[in-house]
Amino acid sequence: MQYQTDNNSYDALVIGAGIAGGEAALNLANLGYKVLLIDKDLTIGGKMIMLSKVFPTLDCSACITTPKVSEISRHPNIKILTSTQASNITQKSDGTFMAEITTKPRYVEIEDCTGCQLCEEACPVIVKDQYQYDLVGRKAAYIPFSIASPRAAAIDIENCTLCGACERACPTNCIDFTQTDKKITIKCNTVILATGFQLFDPTLIPRYGFGRFKNVITSMQMERQLAPTRPFNTVLRPSDGKLPDNIAYVLCTGSRDKTLGNPICSQVCCMYSTKQAQLLMGALPMADITLYYLHIRAFGKGFNEFYAQAQSMGVEFVKGKVAKITEKENGNLILRYEDINGNVVKETEHDMVVLSVGILPNVGIQELFSGINLELDEFNYVKQTDVLASPAATSINGVFVAGTASAPMDIPDSILSAGAASAEAANYIRKMSEINVSV
Amino acid sequence: MKNKIGVYICHCGGNISDYVDVEKVRDAVKDIEGVEISVDTMFACADSSQKQIFNDIKEKQLDGLVVASCSPKLHYPTFSAVAERAGLNKYNYVHANIREQVSWAHSDNKLGATEKAIQAVKAAIAGVKESISLEPIKIKSQKIVAVIGAGVAGMRAAKELADLGVKVYLIEREYFVGGRVAQLDYLCRVQETGKELVTRMYEAIHKHENITLFTGAEIIEKGGSIGNFKIKLKITPRYIKKDCNEDELKKAIEVCPVEVDDDFNFNITKRKAIYKNYPSEYPQKPAIDIKNCTRCGECEKVCSSIDFNQKEEILDLTVGSILTATGFDPYRPKENEFGWGLDNVVTLPQFRRIINMCDDKLIYNGKEIKEIAYIYCVGSRQVDGENKYCSRYCCTATLYTSILTHKKYKNIHAYHFNRGIRTYGKQEVIYDEVSQLGDIFLQSYEYDPATVEKQGDKTIVKVKDILTNNTEIEVEADLVVLVTGMEPRKDNSIGDVLKIPKGRDRFYNEIHMKLRPVETVIDGITIAGACQGPKNILESVNSALSAATKSYSIVNTGELALEPIIASVNEDTCTWCGLCADACPYDAIELINKNGKDIAEINKSVCKGCGMCLPVCESDSIEMSGFTNNIIENMISAYADI
Repeated sequence: MQYQTDNNSYDALVIGAGIAGGEAALNLANLGYKVLLIDKDLTIGGKMIMLSKVFPTLDCSACITTPKVSEISRHPNIKILTSTQASNITQKSDGTFMAEITTKPRYVEIEDCTGCQLCEEACPVIVKDQYQYDLVGRKAAYIPFSIASPRAAAIDIENCTLCGACERACPTNCIDFTQTDKKITIKCNTVILATGFQLFDPTLIPRYGFGRFKNVITSMQMERQLAPTRPFNTVLRPSDGKLPDNIAYVLCTGSRDKTLGNPICSQVCCMYSTKQAQLLMGALPMADITLYYLHIRAFGKGFNEFYAQAQSMGVEFVKGKVAKITEKENGNLILRYEDINGNVVKETEHDMVVLSVGILPNVGIQELFSGINLELDEFNYVKQTDVLASPAATSINGVFVAGTASAPMDIPDSILSAGAASAEAANYIRKMSEINVSV
Repeated sequence: MKNKIGVYICHCGGNISDYVDVEKVRDAVKDIEGVEISVDTMFACADSSQKQIFNDIKEKQLDGLVVASCSPKLHYPTFSAVAERAGLNKYNYVHANIREQVSWAHSDNKLGATEKAIQAVKAAIAGVKESISLEPIKIKSQKIVAVIGAGVAGMRAAKELADLGVKVYLIEREYFVGGRVAQLDYLCRVQETGKELVTRMYEAIHKHENITLFTGAEIIEKGGSIGNFKIKLKITPRYIKKDCNEDELKKAIEVCPVEVDDDFNFNITKRKAIYKNYPSEYPQKPAIDIKNCTRCGECEKVCSSIDFNQKEEILDLTVGSILTATGFDPYRPKENEFGWGLDNVVTLPQFRRIINMCDDKLIYNGKEIKEIAYIYCVGSRQVDGENKYCSRYCCTATLYTSILTHKKYKNIHAYHFNRGIRTYGKQEVIYDEVSQLGDIFLQSYEYDPATVEKQGDKTIVKVKDILTNNTEIEVEADLVVLVTGMEPRKDNSIGDVLKIPKGRDRFYNEIHMKLRPVETVIDGITIAGACQGPKNILESVNSALSAATKSYSIVNTGELALEPIIASVNEDTCTWCGLCADACPYDAIELINKNGKDIAEINKSVCKGCGMCLPVCESDSIEMSGFTNNIIENMISAYADI
């Protein structure tokens, strides 16, 4: 089934190795196609691998993601490049594509690294750990997280002091400061965009105090506190390490808000907040959890039942928009909000506030292409040009979109969208191969 | 007997090690005879740990593998694959579940949990000692997929499969294709009507050399298994000749004296016994509804294309995979539910048909409609009823319907009695648009919904509106539209034939809600569209294409490797009592006569290794490969420390 065998020639280029890109790559690889899967991050698995549990099944996210990640990374038909981005993607007259693939230096030979972490111990530089969403620190020589794939060290060259301690500590001599950008040009029959989403930056809503008030955190930070690989092994509030006992969630932070340029609903925040509330009731049985919401969007399979379950567990759902958060001296927070039920403006004190941040489109996807125009929709997501009949089709014939690159969506919808993209990509590859054979 | 066994005990990042002393477990088994190494690991499933197991198998030449971690449902395939890659036959790997069955179950008793974990691992070691290498059973697979249901999901899946070179039998129970989408006109956020979308899809399939469309067709029997399903198709004739005269057929419809409720218009109109739902419907030939036809012969007098001699046909087909896209039924309100039964209370699907039929003025039952009350969540999010789920599409569909009425008719006032609008994602802009049109939103909680009552000739909808401090608000409506949700098909005979399991919501159940949403526990059968749960068109098509990918991967190479863990019969001791055949849920056991003796025989490609036949066998003549009596007894002894 493999039509091409030379090194820089692939059936498909999949950009983004999160759950959508990974699923699309696996689908195509299982059909016998040769796939190049790239991700700009140091590891594959995207955002899903960082989550605690998933709604509404409450499966441990790491536990269901790692087998997928492992299957992807070991598949003989998939070549993975991390720290890698594509550029200058052009389409030839026969419909196939050329792309420039640039791999940024990791300063570590992935093949030789055993993941022993001795470099981490030796490194004297401590910076914020982006994989724990800044809750704790990490070294400049570090393994992204324990279930990263590849589980190999990387040097954060921005913060590295070039002291050489890691090189001396490494038992396999896999650290190499002479690495530079690696560029290759590849040929491929089809391109799948699975570039994912970015989280809303809550500092854009100054009245919520994120960044100023220590006990105001984002939902992703809470997600990390609840994950099996959690930094503190319990849930605690950042200002003083106290176990919180009265936690508030502010839903629609950065979603459904025209003033922030994002008028649409992020589709996942209601449910992940409801899930976190349920997990918190387990982790902190004495804690009160309150969700401040506009509408609860529990629309998917099993979601409404999950929402009802949270209500019956005692999670409080308050219909009202939070206007403003202020901080007390003891680190507690006062939420000012319109309580729709009482028809009054109220103030309530909580000892920790979680901002349920929304999903935004990733930027710069159009710039990957050269000479061909990838259209975006009015919300800056990749435009689905035949949304009902061919949801994966884009404005470029042969380029397909999977997952949250086209719209906010949850994990099952991402999987379905990846399935659609791989079906259409498989057909396009087939067409290209037939043309190339007949020429 | 294995004597180089590798034992790996997982912390599961605390999921196990918070309650089980993993190091103690590791040390407790390391000196057992036959154990080569015993190690603990943070995440056994992580790539680096897999690498370590792989290297150990190679370097230490392990002949058996035990992994003690989470449920084998999650990671049995993971570690089987590691063993295979390292050259160890995967049936020499035994899994011990020390998370779901130990650490999570006994989180209140750490000492006891550790003790139980030790015994579980000892039992696994005892099991692996006696394990035997097995090879997969290879069978040929038909490069044919049966797609059931020719709505948008089924048609789209069929086209994709056919383009990939697979032969498709597209099987539709009705006489016409298009399903529910054919009943829709304008569609939300696109410049295409439902009928146009159906036409576009039909054009893509009807001349496709790889697709055979059957209408009026139902699967009445299914046998066989993945790769070679044997299905029996019953085809009801249209009673119209192949080469037919269109003008005469039009006349035939005119003269037919029978009038029955028109399903296509949700019974707000009547149709004839010879009918077509709309002029451009596909296939473009009318059909005779023989159940309601009185055989008066009027049609035959004006039309030479009628042929009452056509007979029901039964076809036997063999396919490699079955893709089920059987759709949904709209919820039918119960008598008096939100005023159902009153002459000006209709459902949303009915209302869409009414809008389709009214051009300048919105008229229903002879009365012009100006004031419309929409009541949401009828048949969904029920407090007392069994439909606890949200039907997902209806909020957006209703808001879009309201936009349509404002565009088409003048001076419409709409009141939305909702329980919280769920226009998720980009559909939010529809909500915004409707709000700006001046529609009024009144919201209540599930337990305190709106009520509909007749006061004289007025129809009053009442609600305690939580948006205005629980003020009781009354609206006098010309028409009440019940926003009915989606339900699983009432006639689920196909689900029963295929034995597809259903969830608590009664929709078909997938293998894994998050990661495997289109596969079912029956190998080779995939599910797409709203038969798995409420979906809009986009979501249905996404799932259809996903299911097509999965079905394609089953049939594309023409060969399948099946699990060799199946039952086998000891021909010497079997005396055929038939109990095993009765117990088998897969019809895999048959009576044969061998050398003059009646014995049971097991069909290897049908047997799933479920083990139901073993305990009922009185002469103990059935063994399960991989789980022989010897292995199980040794494991029990080790568990109990006998």
